[in-house]
Amino acid sequence: MAEVMIALRELKKTYGSADGEVHALRGVTLDIYKGEAVAVMGHSGSGKSTLLSIIGALNPPSAGTLEIDGINVYALSQERRADFRREYLGFVFQQFQLIPYLTALENVLLPLVTASLPGRRKRELAEQVLCRVGLAGKMNRLPGALSGGEQERVAIARAIVNAPPVLLADEPTGNLDSKTGEEIMTLFRKLNEDGQTVLMVTHNPDNTRYMGRTIVLKDGLLCQDKAEIRALAAGRGQRRGG
Amino acid sequence: MTLYHIAVSNLQRRRKKMLFLLLGLVVGVSTVIGLLTIVGAMRLELGDRIDEFGANIVIVPRAKGAALNYGGVVVSDVTFGVERLTEADLPKIDTIKDREGINIISPKIVGAVDTGGQKALLVGVETKREFTQKPWFSLREQAGLQPGAKPGSLSLLDVPADGLVAGSAAARTLGIGAGDSITLNGQPFRVFGVLNETGGREDGVLYANLAVAQRLLGRPGEFSMIEVSAYCNFCPVEEYAAQIAAVLPNARVTPLRQAALYREETIDKFASFGFALSAVVLLVAALMVLTTMLASVGERTREIGIFRAIGFRQAHIVRIIFLEAGLVSFLGGVLGYLSGSAAAWLAGPYLAQLQGTVALRFELILPAVLLSMSLAVIASIYPALKAARLDPAEALRFI
Repeated sequence: MAEVMIALRELKKTYGSADGEVHALRGVTLDIYKGEAVAVMGHSGSGKSTLLSIIGALNPPSAGTLEIDGINVYALSQERRADFRREYLGFVFQQFQLIPYLTALENVLLPLVTASLPGRRKRELAEQVLCRVGLAGKMNRLPGALSGGEQERVAIARAIVNAPPVLLADEPTGNLDSKTGEEIMTLFRKLNEDGQTVLMVTHNPDNTRYMGRTIVLKDGLLCQDKAEIRALAAGRGQRRGG
Repeated sequence: MTLYHIAVSNLQRRRKKMLFLLLGLVVGVSTVIGLLTIVGAMRLELGDRIDEFGANIVIVPRAKGAALNYGGVVVSDVTFGVERLTEADLPKIDTIKDREGINIISPKIVGAVDTGGQKALLVGVETKREFTQKPWFSLREQAGLQPGAKPGSLSLLDVPADGLVAGSAAARTLGIGAGDSITLNGQPFRVFGVLNETGGREDGVLYANLAVAQRLLGRPGEFSMIEVSAYCNFCPVEEYAAQIAAVLPNARVTPLRQAALYREETIDKFASFGFALSAVVLLVAALMVLTTMLASVGERTREIGIFRAIGFRQAHIVRIIFLEAGLVSFLGGVLGYLSGSAAAWLAGPYLAQLQGTVALRFELILPAVLLSMSLAVIASIYPALKAARLDPAEALRFI
């Protein structure tokens, strides 16, 4: 049996607001195995982004535990958790989230800034991943001089440059046309085939074709209704956001 | 790439804001440097021109009992048990350790004389030394001048053996003017010149050559007092006085610091006001740093969220903010030093009414840079901590 990479146990997240408490997650239990590619779908407000941020070691849950590769992530101190993110997780954010004043190469180098590697080795690694995502000739361009698809590739290169075992993506094709979106999804599949565990929040049912498993969140809980899951994966009853 | 590279890239991107910040620091630092340079020049000039402030050590014979008073100094002339100051004492002063700090030694004898029914105070002096020591003395009238000619400088003129220089009040009281004759204790004198009014006790005095006055007063080779001009920028005049007292056990040596103190007090007041002004300017500069860095952090919330999400520690974020503040403030310190020194050099002579030029103080460049950097780093502590404590999930709008 495959080894569990991400283990969520009774994960709950409650946000306080003036209007009262909002229960974003109500007790999610889930195992994601090493080398697995999982798509997370759900309607707006279903808790997808909250789930991703908790798995991304960015947002402590109100209750429950998260273990990644056997490490109880939220038992770590804030600074150790930052180290953990650098070593274990690669993030591909919605809307690319590149640093506008740094070139493509410099953006990719960012996760390596605090790594204890020689400068030349860091640069080699960054150049290699940029070549791998097809941006060999555009390394020294600022993000503003790149197309949406190219910016997404830079974001992916940044997420994988330090070879994290887990790749997290939040709506990675949300701002791309369908052709570029397919290219990006093909890239994700390749990364998964190379051994990376991929967890992707998406509202696009087409993306689920590239993923091994699709889970659906509904009102902060994993949806167990197979018909509803099939309907969402097929693109019915879909609403944007989440 | 390093944190330094990130900081530099961000500064280049926010050029206008950082220039504004730089300007604030430059103004703050240059105010302090300009002021320090001018005050330093004023103090130096005080040292160089101490002779213009008159004597600052007075030596009188050690005595018991009552005393006459001349120029605020007790002159032990009519007391009992009086020691004597004589010409033999002058070479002893030359033997003190800090002799090179002494500019002028001016012995004098003071005594009352009869002008033919009216008493007057006669002071015998070595005229060139005395009038060099007191450059505020100037002649209102001079004997033998062509009509319309201006009187010469007292310190350069030779007063004849039978000549007198009369204080303005004495001349008025005795009804004498330049070129007039007067008899003192039965001996004829000619008024060589009349002094302009000084407002001091000197106005009521008649000055004659020392040897002539000693003979006239029946005290040849004897002095009533010796006035000494000494100054050291780095040591108190009391030290000189103590050294002189050690070689003249027969004398009472009194350090007089009024003139220098008055000047020093003026400089201190100027410096205090300037430093208060500088403190306000520096406070404003610090507030500028604070608000600019806070605004910068606010604008970069998402960027900081990205840094945190990809594994930057809070300490790394703090270092980026401090690096940015440090780089701008280093430049601010250097430019502040240059502009402050230039301002002091150009405006100092007018502002502080200095006679010479203002010397640049290269030793202030390091303090200028340190001041600027500490100010910027201290003012950046809150923005840096705020940036470091940003919730990455919130910054990336996951929440």
